[in-house]
Amino acid sequence: MKQLKPGWVSAFIYIGISLIAAGIFLAVTIAGDYTWVARAGGAAWIFLLSTIILMPIVIPTVRKRLKQKDQVERR
Amino acid sequence: MAEDAKKEARLHIEDMNCASCVVNVEQVLKNVAGVASVKVNLATGSATVQYDPSQATLVDMKKAVEDIGYKVMLNTAQLQVSGMTCASCVEKIEKAVSQIDGVSRVVVNLSTGTARVEHDPTLASLAEIKRAIRELGYGVEELAAGTALDREREARQREIRKQLINMAIAWPVGMLVMLGTFQPYWVLPNVIPDWMNNKVYLFALTTPLVLGPGRQFFVNSWNGLKRGLTDMNLLYATGIGAAYLIAVINTFWPDAGFGGREATFYEAAALLIAFIVLGRYLEAVTRGRTSEAIRRLMKLQPKRARVLREGQEIEIAAEEVQLDDILVVRPGESIPVDGVVLEGYSSVDQSMITGESIPAEKKAGDEVIGGTINKTGAFKFRTTRVGKDTALAQIIKLVEEAQTTKAPIQALADRVAGHFILGVHALALAVFVFWFFLGYQTWFSPESHLVLTPYSLTDMGVFGFSLLVSITVLVISCPCAVGLATPSAIMAGTGKGAEYGILFKGADAMEHTAELQVIIFDKTGTLTKGEPSVTDVVAMTGFANEEVLRLAAVAEKNSEHHLGEAILRGAQAHGIEVVNPDSFQAIPGQGVEAKVAGQAILLGNRRLMSERQIPVDVSLSEAERLENEGKTVMFLAVGNRLAGIIAVADTLKETSAQAIAKLKRMGIKVAILTGDNHRTAQAIAHKLGVDRVLAEVLPEDKAREVKKLQAEGLRVAMVGDGINDAPALAQADVGIAIGSGTDVAKETGHVILIKDDLMDVVAAIQVARQTLHLIRQNLGWAFGYNTLAIPIAAGILYPFVSQIVSPELAALLMATSSLSVTLNTLRMRGYIPPIRRGIVP
Repeated sequence: MKQLKPGWVSAFIYIGISLIAAGIFLAVTIAGDYTWVARAGGAAWIFLLSTIILMPIVIPTVRKRLKQKDQVERR
Repeated sequence: MAEDAKKEARLHIEDMNCASCVVNVEQVLKNVAGVASVKVNLATGSATVQYDPSQATLVDMKKAVEDIGYKVMLNTAQLQVSGMTCASCVEKIEKAVSQIDGVSRVVVNLSTGTARVEHDPTLASLAEIKRAIRELGYGVEELAAGTALDREREARQREIRKQLINMAIAWPVGMLVMLGTFQPYWVLPNVIPDWMNNKVYLFALTTPLVLGPGRQFFVNSWNGLKRGLTDMNLLYATGIGAAYLIAVINTFWPDAGFGGREATFYEAAALLIAFIVLGRYLEAVTRGRTSEAIRRLMKLQPKRARVLREGQEIEIAAEEVQLDDILVVRPGESIPVDGVVLEGYSSVDQSMITGESIPAEKKAGDEVIGGTINKTGAFKFRTTRVGKDTALAQIIKLVEEAQTTKAPIQALADRVAGHFILGVHALALAVFVFWFFLGYQTWFSPESHLVLTPYSLTDMGVFGFSLLVSITVLVISCPCAVGLATPSAIMAGTGKGAEYGILFKGADAMEHTAELQVIIFDKTGTLTKGEPSVTDVVAMTGFANEEVLRLAAVAEKNSEHHLGEAILRGAQAHGIEVVNPDSFQAIPGQGVEAKVAGQAILLGNRRLMSERQIPVDVSLSEAERLENEGKTVMFLAVGNRLAGIIAVADTLKETSAQAIAKLKRMGIKVAILTGDNHRTAQAIAHKLGVDRVLAEVLPEDKAREVKKLQAEGLRVAMVGDGINDAPALAQADVGIAIGSGTDVAKETGHVILIKDDLMDVVAAIQVARQTLHLIRQNLGWAFGYNTLAIPIAAGILYPFVSQIVSPELAALLMATSSLSVTLNTLRMRGYIPPIRRGIVP
């Protein structure tokens, strides 16, 4: 089986979660009285901060999991 | 991993700025296969790694650290290699040298006949590298060597230069941007032209600043982030990046709704960079000073030695001196290594090693210490310890190791600092969401201002306002202060101790020493000079005094006990001939049993007499009288009949009573531990003013006595001879080995006092207390600052005062906070333990 690259897997996860967070933010703002700039700007800031928070959590976790999986498969 | 297969390397790491860097470096090194343990010290900029050389190499570790954006500094040796003729010579040398464990890189140049070797001297010494080349049949000489210390100093100088250049750009430009931004306010329109407030002009000024001096924050944070690591740079990068981005949008697309043309944050981005760069510059300058003590010790290591070889005096590198070489030292020169004086007479300044200010007289047979300075005469000496075995090398190693350890008090700081960056980002996110959805609508007032500025927030929309508060939270938080609080103080404290000949073996020893409640002193050799002498001989009926002393001396002739030696000396002083006993047996804690000319002799304490059922009643009143005078009484029995008693007394050291009085004044309880009986021990305790006496303790029970006190919930120190009292020293919370002399590596204590002076026990506690005091102040400041500043930055006071902290003010506060911890620690530089100032503590 082709080896999964931790960098790509991690990026998929943290970008995915951050997009969801930004999406939720956007969805909530739509219900309120906000300008589109505030909505977009806010969503972008939420996305950026979420990515920054998630990267150091997701990358080592994924790397560890894939390493463990790799070791199990080698055995 | 088998313990004996492990090796230890110390890596000097450049560019670590905060506690997160420590966590990052520890993490990547632990991930290297074969690495068993890692300890990273921010204050010393070093990592101590235990690893299995069959799995991990220095190159792997260096690569792992450099991959996340830090630099590993190794020693670089430039060697002149002679005898190379072709490319295969180059290959041969490179291969042989690179195989030495501890060599990271070797480049041999055939045309110049040189080799450049990067190595960790703790693993591969220069002498070892040169030997490997010589063994291949080539000649080798050292051209220039850069020690890790030199490289560390160079790195710091580079950092200082770099930040100076950054400051030279950031500050003038930052001031121009600030003046331009505030041009419409106060009286400024009268003195500053309108065009300076032009947003495109401000953009043109700020952009090179962000891309120049500010670039380091973006590059460093990205290097870490892509490997899943965060550090202080990330806080700066997010703050500066967001402020700059909003400013650019409001400049070129003012109707985008980010607050319009008047809500540009160019001055925030510019001043943020200026303040952070200023903070880094000042830290690079001040942090170098906290490591001055170890630097001073390292500087003591002489570079050259004058050695006698085949009758000729030749000068060689000090590290090439071998055991049993005969060295010549002239007045004013440093003594290159440790040794014993063969001929000549001089006085030697040993203050740098022992803390003793009066020069020591040296004559044939006396020991000399490498690194000390010969003052008056010239002498020759034979080397006894060279290289890493010299006293100075051992002391440096001990201090370095202590500085790398972590104090228990640091655990909380580490836990906080490790999660700080992420925590602050999460908080910034929460703060943004709060102000966006709730805070702005509820409390925003168009008349509100940024603290200490006339800058009105009138046109600020919900996004601009929430973002501003969120950025300020990122910028104001300061994990550096938390991370530096403990290690910088420990570094300063251990260094200060070493100045006075007090060596703390670790940060925990320092912390425990500061919190001591009880100190137990071993009596003989610690409180007393350890050279007892016979004071009284009382013969029973039928025996003469001289006979009693003679029989006792013969019985003790083969004894190594100090009381036995005293009796032997006493007999010899009276001109008594002491023959060998027929048989001899020591009875630990009781005395000796011997046969002399067919007679059974017993010499020992009451317990021995009682066990052998020898009546001593007739001598008891006399024995008690002598014991009340603090003398140790021994009973001599010949053929199961008491023949006499011998009293031996040891002289108290000059400083014993004074040191104990000072300790008591410091609130510490003092106890004496001795094998003597209660009466003798009490008499000595009374003379010294000691609170508690642990008498009649057998050598093997000393540790148990310490344990008993610990069971009472007391924090106990044991002061004694590092070798004989080893179990008790190990059992105590703090084992203080006194008078170790120069062989510090053999000592078992947690604190080692090089001099045999009890005042140093007091000085050790004073240094430790002062260090802990600094740590508490630093931690109090660091936690207090963050606890107070972050909520204020998050706008907790805004509903009441209608003002929020500007990002630039946040940057100033952050830089000041970090710097204040380092400056507070620097106070230790001028600290003199009160006992050494002659002031009663």
